[in-house]
Amino acid sequence: MKQGSFWRNGYHRTLIGVIFTLIYLFPVYWMIATSFKSAGEIFDIPPKLIPIPPHFGAYSSEVLHNPELIDVFVNSVVISLGTMILTLVLAVPGTYGLARLKLRGGGMILLLLLISQLLPSIVIAGPLFVTFNRIGLLNSYWGLILADTTITLPFAVIILRPFFLAVPGDLEAAARVDGCSQFGVLWRIAIPYVRPGIITVAALSFLMTWGEFVFALSLNTRDHQPITIALNTFIGQYGTFWNNLMAVSTVAALPIILIFASLQRFIIGGLTTGAVKE
Amino acid sequence: MWGTLSKPQTKIVTSSARGRWAVRFRKLSNYLFVLPMMIYLSATMAYPIYVNLDMSLHDLNVRTFRSGDAPYIKFDNYKKLINDPGFRHAAGRSLTFTTISLGFQFLIGFSLALFFNRPFPLNGLLRALLLLAWLMPAVVGGTLFRWMADGDYGVFNYFLQSIGLGRYKDYWLLNPDTALAGTIIANVWVGAPFHMILLYAGLQNIPTTLYEAASIDGAGAIQRFIRITLPMMRPVMLGVLLLGFIYTFKVFELIFVMTGGGPVDATTVLPIHIYRLTFAFFRFGEGAASAIMLLLGLLLLAIGYAQLIHAEEAA
Repeated sequence: MKQGSFWRNGYHRTLIGVIFTLIYLFPVYWMIATSFKSAGEIFDIPPKLIPIPPHFGAYSSEVLHNPELIDVFVNSVVISLGTMILTLVLAVPGTYGLARLKLRGGGMILLLLLISQLLPSIVIAGPLFVTFNRIGLLNSYWGLILADTTITLPFAVIILRPFFLAVPGDLEAAARVDGCSQFGVLWRIAIPYVRPGIITVAALSFLMTWGEFVFALSLNTRDHQPITIALNTFIGQYGTFWNNLMAVSTVAALPIILIFASLQRFIIGGLTTGAVKE
Repeated sequence: MWGTLSKPQTKIVTSSARGRWAVRFRKLSNYLFVLPMMIYLSATMAYPIYVNLDMSLHDLNVRTFRSGDAPYIKFDNYKKLINDPGFRHAAGRSLTFTTISLGFQFLIGFSLALFFNRPFPLNGLLRALLLLAWLMPAVVGGTLFRWMADGDYGVFNYFLQSIGLGRYKDYWLLNPDTALAGTIIANVWVGAPFHMILLYAGLQNIPTTLYEAASIDGAGAIQRFIRITLPMMRPVMLGVLLLGFIYTFKVFELIFVMTGGGPVDATTVLPIHIYRLTFAFFRFGEGAASAIMLLLGLLLLAIGYAQLIHAEEAA
């Protein structure tokens, strides 16, 4: 009887799923485990699979007492928040226009956005370097925010569009009758209606920008570098001090893990709505 | 995947001249919603493509970049590239990296999607956790795999040793024969959960009544998979493969961090090649030409996909 309910409720699948997920995420565990080892322990053969007792040396020297790392962390926050805001400011009214208002050429705009998904960042980085060099946007927050938005904006429109398409036309019409301007309709009716989509886009914009590397590597070679660039530089500097490198990696991954943990429902929901429906 | 563009519309009929002007004004003012986005797109996407095209037709190197008098040389940069063994090598590496990565990502992603398609406790949580691999910054993922693949103290070699395959231990990323495989493994790890999420959503959209009817008719699990799942999933599968191909072809940072394109160009895919031409050798003209060729290749692929979908919808 007990066996029967085990199979019927799918617990065997849960068991397989949990084991698979644990194995799949082993690299993430290994990153965190290595970061809590001492410099000597990383050269242990066989390696210690669980870092007991944990050493906090890597965090103390490379994170807490390393003003440079705190600097790049702050840079990453500023750039990611900036990109998130710029993406929303451009994408929300833009997608609303494309989805709800009868615009001549709207199809073309959408097509352009889809094509822009084809562009590898490195293709845009060259010309942006030349242009930013001319107008003094190299090594600045603004330059990188402008560049990073090229990655997030097409994504944002693709994700938001199905949300806006689902806004009931009656609601809009009623608001118009009540004397709402078109902008008022967007602000009071559409935006509240598509809130889950907006949260998805905001979270994904932040996450994508946080991990961005190519633009930072080519445009901010001197100042205002994000944490991804610092991590890459550390690889060269620290060589085999993997505990230090993994501590920095963990710090770089932490915001991703936290945001994802709190907003995963929106992120997964948004990704699948945008990709599959319609 | 991103189907045809249809918009719900309301027609407002007015007779008076003033009303007509008001409507026209409102139609124009509607463009204000997309205007900021359009300005931004023109400045940061259309303009760079134009600059790339322009650069690709000029003999632009360190000297002419400074002086600003790069001579117009028509398609010489393109001719140079096509005959350049370095470019051909990079294109070949890109194709190998992309097709093998994509194959495994898709197979693993599809298997996982099928596995998760049945409800069971913790289903949603486990799916979300797997997606964490995809969300990791590529630089973090790259550093991580670099450490695990380390020849002396890496955990890969330790696992090989402990299951009795010690003779296969290697300096994975320092050996030209295994470096590409190393980057592919890392990339599959990153990408497979993304395939899973999209394919899972596709599976969920197949009406269960189809399966029930087939079961009543006596179709087995394999029959149902071949006769229902595969045909119903065809559009989603094509879309995921196209998207996956494009994203994988664009991969740069993961490889850059793991191997920097080496050893001896073993992992120099096209984006790495373009980066080197432009930012290391300052051969801007050739860098731009290879960028344009990469873009054209992906564009052709997307057009082919659109044609295919269009033909299927018409049929």
